[in-house]
Amino acid sequence: MLTPRQMSRLLIVASKDRMGTVVNELYRRHLFHIEDFVDQANPEYDGFKIGTPLAGATEAATDLVNVRAIENTFSIDSEAFVAKARPAQTAMQARIESDLPAITSEVEALTGRRARLETGVKENEQKIAEITPFASVPVDLDLYSGYFRFVVFAGYVARDVTIAVPNEKFYTKGKNQNFIVVVTPGEHRSEVERVLQEASYQAVTIPAESGTPQSRIDYYSGQISTAKKEIEEIQAKIDGIKQKHAEFLVACEEVLKCRVEQTEAPLRFATTHETFVAEGWVPTESVADVTQALEKATGGKIFVKELSVDYEHDSVPVEYDNPSFAKPAQMLMDVYSRPKYTELDPTLMVSIIFPLFFGLILGDVGYGLLLLGMCLVLRKYITGEEGTLLIKVLRNASISSIFFGLLYSECLGFALPWSPIMFSRHLKIGAHTVGHGPQIPELMILAIWIGLLHITLGRVLGMANHARQDHGSHRTKAILANAGWIFVMWGILLVIWSMVQMPYMPDFTTLPKLVLTLNLASIIGAVMLVAGVLFIARESALEIVELPTIISHVLSYARIVAVGLSSVAIAMVVNFIAIGMLIEPQLESITIVGVLFIIMGVVVFLIGHALNLALGILGGGLHSIRLHYVEFFTKFYKGGGKKYSPFGLKRRFTED
Amino acid sequence: MAAEIVAAAITDVELMKASQIGMKALGAGMAVGLTGIASGIAEMAIGSAAVGATAENKDVFGLVLLLTVIPETIVIFGLVVALLLIF
Repeated sequence: MLTPRQMSRLLIVASKDRMGTVVNELYRRHLFHIEDFVDQANPEYDGFKIGTPLAGATEAATDLVNVRAIENTFSIDSEAFVAKARPAQTAMQARIESDLPAITSEVEALTGRRARLETGVKENEQKIAEITPFASVPVDLDLYSGYFRFVVFAGYVARDVTIAVPNEKFYTKGKNQNFIVVVTPGEHRSEVERVLQEASYQAVTIPAESGTPQSRIDYYSGQISTAKKEIEEIQAKIDGIKQKHAEFLVACEEVLKCRVEQTEAPLRFATTHETFVAEGWVPTESVADVTQALEKATGGKIFVKELSVDYEHDSVPVEYDNPSFAKPAQMLMDVYSRPKYTELDPTLMVSIIFPLFFGLILGDVGYGLLLLGMCLVLRKYITGEEGTLLIKVLRNASISSIFFGLLYSECLGFALPWSPIMFSRHLKIGAHTVGHGPQIPELMILAIWIGLLHITLGRVLGMANHARQDHGSHRTKAILANAGWIFVMWGILLVIWSMVQMPYMPDFTTLPKLVLTLNLASIIGAVMLVAGVLFIARESALEIVELPTIISHVLSYARIVAVGLSSVAIAMVVNFIAIGMLIEPQLESITIVGVLFIIMGVVVFLIGHALNLALGILGGGLHSIRLHYVEFFTKFYKGGGKKYSPFGLKRRFTED
Repeated sequence: MAAEIVAAAITDVELMKASQIGMKALGAGMAVGLTGIASGIAEMAIGSAAVGATAENKDVFGLVLLLTVIPETIVIFGLVVALLLIF
């Protein structure tokens, strides 16, 4: 529970002709974490070579690319796809051979036709754009070209021009540009060009068409609309195929992915001429199962051996081993870093303490219920693995907020009908203040207590981690240094307690004085402090500069109160503005302006609380997790473990 | 004459008390405000680096979000001081 799942290192040796069977069996079991063979990295494997893919690897890979291309055309997202039925793998293999080529060619034909039509539409649109300027000139398009003696100018000009040489001219004034057509005998060409240049002439290409411009435009528009209709028909056909085959396609993808992974597995093995060697990790409780399964599959013609593990140097893959209620917190752990194999896994503690902190901070029945509702709604839309875990973390946190809301007697900033069971956080805002106001000092002491216990727990875990991981004199020193930190912290506390009286803390001020002004508690405290500092200095003298962090880390837990109070304050201010200032005064005598004020009050209420809820989730979540990552984990946790990813696939669309 | 002096003295004492409450509120406000500015300055650099890092690699989002809120401790301490001042 507090350690990762126990792993064993397995060595599998068999002849090459059994490779397919072995790979298939390992893939089906989904337990073997392959340790990739690296050529020439290990002297023990001198003479071994990386294996070659099994037969059918290329075909499977090509098919997979095809299927993914089709899925892309259909915009099917296999991650988010929910299948109704799960066909068997064997049935799928037959269908891949019979149906997949047909579907591929059908889809390819359709998409090819669609692409051609789309290009046609673009070309026709281009032609229409070319003809459009000529539509205003009442001349057939074939009259613009084919002359020996005449030159035709067509283009845009800034203004109308007067040409001194013989010519025929047609000018249309447009909104942005003016279109001009000039026909002149060949000998006056340069003169006309000069005049046009002065009017900043821009030539346009004369379309190679015949007939009136308008008739040509109509013709091409007709072509475009026919093509568009056909594109729509093709799209409908593609949608039909999508409806019909989507499930088959995602199943195909899965089967082919399995096949590709299996056929390419030998690339991760070491091989000789006749044999292959696979090394990897299996959870210790499954070693017997895997061994038996492999022996059965190969008819006993295989050598499987559990190797000894060198925990210092081998990078053992890490798989969490937590009770189901603690599983969501694994996501919070992975954000920081997965624990190393030899380390204690604090997931269980995070899964309990994180919701408690969140509840202590947010602590409001109304916000808790809203957050819970939000989680329940979002659960339907978020399907990814991490997303689901996050939703579960938030759900636990919201339940805790409701619980603490009942204790604090808070609901959307209002007081519930009973007075707070725990310390009051009701601020004196607005006219409706009840009770005796917030008990800030008590809440602060509570936060300090939480901090002291949390940090002490962290240090104790630090001692345990060093005891597990280190050897020799370093081990003793490291354990003592962690104990030293605990001594210093509690020593300081003893000294403070013997000098100052504080609520909810032991009071040692009344103890009889032994030496000068020191009583028993302060002497014990001072001794602990000095001893602690010595223990810390023995491990590393530099650590002494870190001593003030003891105080700052404990005080950091005051955020549990401070962030919580700020959220209460915002809620109460929103209520005061919305109800006390806007709605209530209008309710005495309702007027038209009054109704507007009431609507405004409701809007302020809704927006204010939505904003405060968002801040509450962000503040409550981030500060709680920060207290874990910064104040708690720095005492004992390193992380950096390798994720256990067994060879195989969690099938979602097919059955084995 | 004596009554007037006493009355003036009482007003002075009341004025003093009132201004002390005001000073407390002012102190509390400054404690939160100045530490807020300090947190903002500290988060400025981290935040921009965090956005850059996230643009490069989306996986670090969780971690950098956390790093960004680390200087918030400063304003939390300010808030604690302010709360202790007022209550």
